[in-house]
Amino acid sequence: MDYIIRTSGLTKIVKGKTLVSNVNLHIKKGEIYGFLGQNGAGKTTIMKLLTGLLSPTAGEIEVFGQRLTEESKSSLKRVGSIIEYPIFFEHLTAMENLMIHCEYLGFYDKSAMAQALDMVHLEGIEDKLVKDFSLGMKQRLGIARAIITKPELIILDEPTNGLDPIGIKDMRDLIRMLNKEYGISFLLSSHILGEMEQVADRIGVINKGRLLNEVMLADIRKQRTDYIELVTSNVEKAVYLLENKLRISNMKIVQGNRIRIYDLSQSQNEISKMLVLHDIGIEEMQKHTSTLEDYFYNQIHGGGNIV
Amino acid sequence: MFKLMKLEWGKLRQKSIIGEVVIYLLIVMFLPTFFIKMVIPDFGQSYASMIELILPIQMGFVLFGASLINQVVIDEYKNKTISLSFSYPISRKKLFMAKVLFISLFVFLITLVSFLLTGITTYLLDEAFSIINGQPTGTDISTFFIKMISHSIIITLISLIPLFLFGLWKRATIPLVLCAIFLMQFQNFSYLLKVNLNPDLVNFVLCILGAASAYLSIKLVDKLGDI
Repeated sequence: MDYIIRTSGLTKIVKGKTLVSNVNLHIKKGEIYGFLGQNGAGKTTIMKLLTGLLSPTAGEIEVFGQRLTEESKSSLKRVGSIIEYPIFFEHLTAMENLMIHCEYLGFYDKSAMAQALDMVHLEGIEDKLVKDFSLGMKQRLGIARAIITKPELIILDEPTNGLDPIGIKDMRDLIRMLNKEYGISFLLSSHILGEMEQVADRIGVINKGRLLNEVMLADIRKQRTDYIELVTSNVEKAVYLLENKLRISNMKIVQGNRIRIYDLSQSQNEISKMLVLHDIGIEEMQKHTSTLEDYFYNQIHGGGNIV
Repeated sequence: MFKLMKLEWGKLRQKSIIGEVVIYLLIVMFLPTFFIKMVIPDFGQSYASMIELILPIQMGFVLFGASLINQVVIDEYKNKTISLSFSYPISRKKLFMAKVLFISLFVFLITLVSFLLTGITTYLLDEAFSIINGQPTGTDISTFFIKMISHSIIITLISLIPLFLFGLWKRATIPLVLCAIFLMQFQNFSYLLKVNLNPDLVNFVLCILGAASAYLSIKLVDKLGDI
């Protein structure tokens, strides 16, 4: 498998507190990978470790197949990032900030700077001081800085923070466009599932510094369990009828008077018709679809496999 | 390395630093004349005495060094811009070495310029208002140039003393400035307190401390340099 980032046993302990514990992360080339976890779950710390801002207490990090250490950081040339919030030399202009960035990376292409600013809709602000920018503009400028050198991987920590709804949509479109047209892989983090759902291909669920699961969003969608919930005063007879008349076997009784039918071979209409025919009173009948939110809630609060 | 040092200059508030340098130079260049005329006329006995007066005056650039440490190191940590540098594919040691060399070179060059300007200004004022007895001899001139270079090096190294403790480790501006003022005035205090210290030995010890501070800063930036 062509992984551009792989960690094994990645651990970070600061002053006796475990911030990241035994994380085995796998990011494939070309994918948009989303870190999902509550505030303080360890997303930012992992991102800082991946970009060399922190050094791990234990474990290894491989970036583009090269082990990342303080002495060997050359693979970071292929990575663009914004961790926590976009940081700039506020007393300098947007262009001066971009030029400093390019100088550090040994990249000298002025047209690439103008092109990057175009992509994030920040034309005409080159000579303005960054201290006069709104947070949204800084976020865009941060993205522009991250994409100038056309890195193969961009790491963005909470990229929609501080953006208005239009800005959020623009950011999403930009990420998708860079992924599709330029083949840039992304590692994004968010505590908002809805955000992730719209851009990510794969999700890594993080809780209390541990990576609980890495899963394709498409797979979760397929796995979503739908069921029909039926509330009746005569549960026993209803179950008997469902089994014998409609050949339904996959069901469960909850809270005494509720039947959850997971076998959806029979429609709601057929079930109610059959029960009415046999004088079973139906107090309530509803079709339930478990949401992605339910899935991740269960992952975080119900444990889950540790990757 | 020179490119990294140049980038350190590019990141600074250049106008404010240039303004600071101009103020320092203007004040320091007139101080020997001021002292001879208003405070201690004994230094006007000869050019050799006047040169002895110039040396402690130039120690003021230790404070300028503290100002540079504040902007090049502490501000970068406080504003978190250091995290940008640390995410580039360059080792922290190399990045920090560039900072140390930049501060050192800057303090050294400005002190050198200040020595020259002070020497020339004092000579011209003496020509106009006859402040110092006699004319500078060949020995005075060669002593001046030798001390100009040696003391610029000494001042540069002394200005690095607070770098490790108050710059990299504690990242504290006020203690940094107080430490620089103490170092700047240390030899004057001992003179006032009538403590007899060998100035060459004191300078030697302070230079060793400055070099050790620079070395420790570069050596330990991986451990103490977390953001």
